[in-house]
Amino acid sequence: MSKRNSNADRFRKQAIAADLEEPVTEARNLAQKLGLEPYPVKYWIIDYDEMNELIAYGGFQSRYPHWRWGMQYDKQQKQGQYGGGKAFEIVNNDNPAHAFLQESNTVADQKAVITHVEAHSDFFANNEWFGMFTRGQSDEGQVNAAAMLERHARAIDEYMSDPEIDRADVEKWIDHCLSLEDNIDQHQIFTRRLDVDGPAGAELDEDLAEKLDELELSDEIKGEVFNEEWIEKLEDEDITANFPEQPQKDVLAFVREHGKQYDEETGRGVEMTEWQRDILDMMRAEAYYFAAQKMTKVMNEGWAAYWESTMMTDETFAGDDEFLNYADHMAKVLASGGLNPYSLGMELWEYVENTTNRREVLERLLRVEGISWRNLTDVVDFDEVLETLEPPTALATITPDTLDDLTAVRNEWVDHESLERARAGEIDVEAYPWKVLTYEGLARRHYSLVKRQNRGFLARVNQNELERIGRYLFDDARYSSVDEALADVDFTAGWDRLFDVRESHNDVTFLDEFLTQEFITENNYFTYEHSQATGQFHVTSDAAEDVKKKLLLQFTNFGKPTIAVYDGNYNNANELLLGHQYNGVMLNLGQAKETLKRIFELWGRPVNLLTIVKEVDDHDIEVAKRRNREPEPKEQGKLIRYDGQTVTTEDVPWDEVEHLAADDIDYDTKPDEWLA
Amino acid sequence: MGLRDDLERFREVGEQRREDLADFIQYGELGRSGPGEINIPVKIVSLPEFEYDQRDKGGVGQGEDGTPDTGQPVGQPQPQPGDDDGEDGEPGEEGGEHEYYEMDPEEFAEELDEELGLDLDPKGKTVVEEKEGPFTDLTRTGPNSTLDFERMFKEGLKRKLAMDFDEEFLRELCKVEDISPREVFEWARGENLPVSMAWIEEAYADIPDEERGKWASIEAVEDHVEREDVQQKIRREGIDHVPFRREDERYRHPEIIEEKEKNVVVVNIRDVSGSMREKKRELVERTFTPLDWYLQGKYDNAEFVYIAHDADAWAVERDEFFGIRSGGGTKISSAYELANELLEEYPWSDWNRYVFAAGDSENSSNDTSERVIPLMEEIPANLHAYVETQPSGNAINATHAEELERHFGTDADDVAVAYVNSKDDVTDAIYEILSTEGETNE
Repeated sequence: MSKRNSNADRFRKQAIAADLEEPVTEARNLAQKLGLEPYPVKYWIIDYDEMNELIAYGGFQSRYPHWRWGMQYDKQQKQGQYGGGKAFEIVNNDNPAHAFLQESNTVADQKAVITHVEAHSDFFANNEWFGMFTRGQSDEGQVNAAAMLERHARAIDEYMSDPEIDRADVEKWIDHCLSLEDNIDQHQIFTRRLDVDGPAGAELDEDLAEKLDELELSDEIKGEVFNEEWIEKLEDEDITANFPEQPQKDVLAFVREHGKQYDEETGRGVEMTEWQRDILDMMRAEAYYFAAQKMTKVMNEGWAAYWESTMMTDETFAGDDEFLNYADHMAKVLASGGLNPYSLGMELWEYVENTTNRREVLERLLRVEGISWRNLTDVVDFDEVLETLEPPTALATITPDTLDDLTAVRNEWVDHESLERARAGEIDVEAYPWKVLTYEGLARRHYSLVKRQNRGFLARVNQNELERIGRYLFDDARYSSVDEALADVDFTAGWDRLFDVRESHNDVTFLDEFLTQEFITENNYFTYEHSQATGQFHVTSDAAEDVKKKLLLQFTNFGKPTIAVYDGNYNNANELLLGHQYNGVMLNLGQAKETLKRIFELWGRPVNLLTIVKEVDDHDIEVAKRRNREPEPKEQGKLIRYDGQTVTTEDVPWDEVEHLAADDIDYDTKPDEWLA
Repeated sequence: MGLRDDLERFREVGEQRREDLADFIQYGELGRSGPGEINIPVKIVSLPEFEYDQRDKGGVGQGEDGTPDTGQPVGQPQPQPGDDDGEDGEPGEEGGEHEYYEMDPEEFAEELDEELGLDLDPKGKTVVEEKEGPFTDLTRTGPNSTLDFERMFKEGLKRKLAMDFDEEFLRELCKVEDISPREVFEWARGENLPVSMAWIEEAYADIPDEERGKWASIEAVEDHVEREDVQQKIRREGIDHVPFRREDERYRHPEIIEEKEKNVVVVNIRDVSGSMREKKRELVERTFTPLDWYLQGKYDNAEFVYIAHDADAWAVERDEFFGIRSGGGTKISSAYELANELLEEYPWSDWNRYVFAAGDSENSSNDTSERVIPLMEEIPANLHAYVETQPSGNAINATHAEELERHFGTDADDVAVAYVNSKDDVTDAIYEILSTEGETNE
């Protein structure tokens, strides 16, 4: 927007960039030492305005023309202007990734951003949900995001400038597509074209009828040329053919392949124009590209915060003078609300690390002769164990004077080549002590269980967990003493596990597996539900399983209800039938109706939605109010239909919606005696 | 292409263009974060999509110290677009979704001025200091360097124009047979010519005898001699002489500006009687709050008086003002009586006064005509405004606003009546009220 490419501006940025060259290189070295495998990252120095622009555009320099970027920019600007909100870091998922550093950041901030960015880039490159977007492409592993978005921007801009095309039509079409942005199949590998067969005869049949009409043949002749049986047979096939064969969650793809545009003049669906299909394709590709980020927000932010903290705090990547500044910043980021993805994610990662390390230690201890899960807490002195697990001094404190001590520690911990260079003075050990260590050495140096904040973790193990570990342990009398057992502890177990988890999980599975009772209780989380009787929300539970249930609802399927295409030839009239896969939480019907209107534009013919709603009649509410109880809602099947003119809603019998109801999930946390 | 374009498009969304999106714009609640700061809800447009019913979905909260007890209420969800159409009765989103940005009242007033095209120029009242302004005032004495020569020339020229007359014509007149100087003078006076008797006598005496009796009558001169007006004459002859006069001399000197402090006292009156239900109450807050901010932003010194009333009136603090509910009937005059009393502290000579009242137009019989209107006329103010909030259209006996309008007329300078039936009317009402005050200043 405002490109002030004055020389002064450029020189200033170059100067900042020159100062940051070393931190950038060394952060990458450190990240790799720690086991991260990031995409290459290109760093840019930008000013405050440019940062706002990038944030508005979702981290890219060029996006298709649309008011929503304007909205985000407006917000960003006003927050900055009036709220003092400070933009910090932005990095995009691409290979190479591009990261943007604001020129006004302090050096400590810049270093923090850089370490943070390296971890994000590692996550982009290695989390398999990000792979969903790249794997289906011919040049696998290439994201080409910036190029793709730029291409989309240009194409859409061209459509908008085309005198043959009304700009407002293009805008509206984009909006229609965006209403279905989350109605994709984010668990499938992204492919440009959807592999769903259309009804073998439907299109043909319609075309055929049209062509016959066009020929203006008399019925007699028609009857002679095309025998009726043949036409009927075609029709019969349509009725029996299930289309789509399986419910299709990728609604965007389905309308792309089989939808039409609604033509106001003739009042019927006609073929989409090329630009319409093209835009649908682009919107769908972008939806898939951004899906992985939406699915892994907690993990990804937590991952970045975890490694940033490891590099900045534990490995003192920030100089002493910069550290206070950094610690202050970090505290602010993590303190902003307990459920922010940074702190939630980071705590969960630490929990994964600690539990894995604890399990490793316990497995060793349980193999000591005479120690079993029944007596472990009685016979083992955890303080002594922690003492033993402390990293050797030679690893904990590395200075030019202590380099010789490293010869005494385990071989696998030391990077001997670097050690030689350090001895020769080629490596600044004062600044970069980690250079003389290996991944194993660093894991030993930063072993989680002995860190001050985690010292109680080992002792906090409960009997259940001990039993679970102990019962399935073979070879349980391998060591004769605790010391002997501890000597075999694998110190990389925690980090190794982190890397595995970051590869395969998304937020839902991550929270499901690692969100603990401890975390929930410590942070005072509780659930609440709405009461029909009082018309208010009330606290329902602080039990961990309830909180988790509710949280998972917020993360599953982008926190949105699951909608799928059930029939593309509904009523045998090429109408669209969508089904809401009901998990016990009903749809916002007002929004659903509005969304149906948008889908109508993309389907060109009437659209239908089968759903289940909860109904409570007024009498029951009155009775419930008097008795201080909650009325029991009745689940009712509904068919919502939009035919281009009006939205109608009608009750349907239960057996028509039964297939949509899941009976194995329950997100309700209301206790039996709730309001009493 | 580019962000500036996108921003432009966004501003137009729901307005001039893309009205189809108007329903999806949320403005959230008005809030106030601290003294001198205003939280303006950010305009957010969300496209419709399949989502859960927020009520049925429930949620996760976080307690401050420990978790709250089961059954404890956790606050009301915020209203959402589409809520108030009543058609679907759609539940709203839970709180905390709205985003704000902060600005101070001055910025707010500027934005509103720009947005609504207002031009309210606050009147200064109390003089707090005098200071030298630019050299725009003039005095009759002063150093030569400050003599305003241009002005003097213009004044001289004006004087000349005023004094000059068609001498040739008058001379011809003097040649009329048997005419006396007196008769010429009287004719000239009749024509508004700036000529003196002395000049005519002199001109008469100068006429050579052979030319006397050249014309038979004044009419004959008028018929045959072309008259020339002063402008033509100056154009023909040029200005040979501009009569500079001492009395035209002006010397520039700096203007003394009386820096007046712009004081404003805003009286907010609200009907809190039983008929003022939640929705009406909310509409009052939505209308009053920006008005208060606006005036606060416009004036140096703003004081607020809050009066709640049913059949009686009492002064309250702002915190309570919008929350109070009482049971009783309604007598609007009670509030004006109290306002009159409280305004004594803010003399009209020193204070700009705004008296805003709001309610559902219900009043006890004859109170409006017999008491309220006389009181409104009695209390001097820049503006009296009444805001009627009737979310469900009109009630039969709700005639207060109507009566005011009938009495004061719709284009009164200092009385505004506005109707707010839904959130959408708020901006119009604010405009109606503030533009009425704008006219007073013309």
